[in-house]
Amino acid sequence: MNLERIMQVDRRIIYLFVAAGTILPIIFVIGLPVSITPPTQMAFDRIENLKQGDVVIVSFDYGPSSAPENAPMADAFLRHCFSKRIRVIVIALYPLGGLSEAVNELNKVVAEFPDLKYGVDYVNLGYKDGAQAAMRKMNENIHEVFPTDVQGTPISRIPMMKNVKTYADVKLCVSLATGIIGEWWANLVNAQFGLPVIVGPTAVSAPKYYAYLEAKQMAGLLGGLKGASEYERLVVDKYPGLAKVYATPGLYTATKGMDVQSIVHLIMIAFIVLGNVVYFTGRRKPRKAA
Amino acid sequence: MPSIGTWLAAFFTLCMLSFLYKDNPFFRIAESFFAGLSLGYYIGIVANQTLKPNLVLPLAHEFSTNWHLLFAGGLGVMLYFRYIKRVAWVSRWALAVYVGYYVGVNMMQKLHGEVLPQVGDTMLSLSWNGIATLWNLVMVVGVLSVLIYFYFSAEHKGAVGGISRVGIWFLMISFGAAFGYTVMGRISLLIGRMVFLVNEWARPLIGLIT
Repeated sequence: MNLERIMQVDRRIIYLFVAAGTILPIIFVIGLPVSITPPTQMAFDRIENLKQGDVVIVSFDYGPSSAPENAPMADAFLRHCFSKRIRVIVIALYPLGGLSEAVNELNKVVAEFPDLKYGVDYVNLGYKDGAQAAMRKMNENIHEVFPTDVQGTPISRIPMMKNVKTYADVKLCVSLATGIIGEWWANLVNAQFGLPVIVGPTAVSAPKYYAYLEAKQMAGLLGGLKGASEYERLVVDKYPGLAKVYATPGLYTATKGMDVQSIVHLIMIAFIVLGNVVYFTGRRKPRKAA
Repeated sequence: MPSIGTWLAAFFTLCMLSFLYKDNPFFRIAESFFAGLSLGYYIGIVANQTLKPNLVLPLAHEFSTNWHLLFAGGLGVMLYFRYIKRVAWVSRWALAVYVGYYVGVNMMQKLHGEVLPQVGDTMLSLSWNGIATLWNLVMVVGVLSVLIYFYFSAEHKGAVGGISRVGIWFLMISFGAAFGYTVMGRISLLIGRMVFLVNEWARPLIGLIT
């Protein structure tokens, strides 16, 4: 076999391998095991320790571009909160699709809990521009930042918002974040106003959040799709009734996504090893005299 | 049978993926659609979710208690003066207010929310307390050596050079971890699109589920 030909393999051949490695596990689900890491366990425990009726803000700070990572986190958090009867205030601070994601994911999960009542158990306050300014102002008066809910109903007419005026009336904030908005929850809202914050960032931005977690500026962290799959497993283990939901055929979950991740990572590792073997074998061969 | 929306999404997804083969007009059309739709969506959502409930409705319904919102609205309008050459300078006043506000917010945010807690978290005890002390030592050595790597007022040779080389190792390890996460993130996006194509478009199309 000519090793030099392997070194000059067309990149599109590699794309084909990656495409096959992505599509096949989607069709034939493998069900690889998911191990739990401490940051995700911390996030789960934090919500698990809340009491029935406590209020949590779930902030949709991502758009469709990172939904494959953030949406499973959002679903798992909402399912966890609703299973425990924790009241949820949904907001969106990400301009490009944050609100669409909030509406879609909330509608999807609420449909699984038919006894929940809008305005009593959960509310969607919609999108607000200028995230940092909105976050600061919410500490003074949430009602002034969100005078109406997403459908235009005045906030004063929403029963669960009557006693929720500032961060002091909220137990926790969960931010599903792409980009910098999740950081603002940690370094602005947590640092200045003391509200415990859990962030579910995309994998690309996950490393920098570990610094906030180490400094106890965050109460938990879900790093990308892996973190989402861990949270799914924790929720299903604690609330077995949700297992049926996660087993729905055709439903995209982070656990199924991690099967694909693992296969694609193996393909990439194989190509990296192959490339290195060929490179070093080529270096050791004596060069022919010109 | 997939809906028209699903067909459109599948078409544009395949257009974007076609770039992997080579640049082509389908990719460019999809790219332009994406940019245009994003801008349109942004304008619509800001108008409906922020301007209307936070400015227009309060002024229309209770002007006497909300008249101060005229200042905020006025600042927003002033920004558009930049398109009229003769009075373009007016937009700079509004911009000055925005910049001033966000500089003030960010200054406190960075100091109070990043610098102080992060510095505090690096001041770790090195008195022996089992394995935790070793991790504390790694943290302290890592932070100090990386700081020395970025200290350019002394030549990097001798002791300074040695410590800065240790700093490079710490940086390389952190870049490696960040790159690993980045790969995972990008693959996740590919998974999202492929799941859509397989489960929402192709499978209904060939009747695997229905």
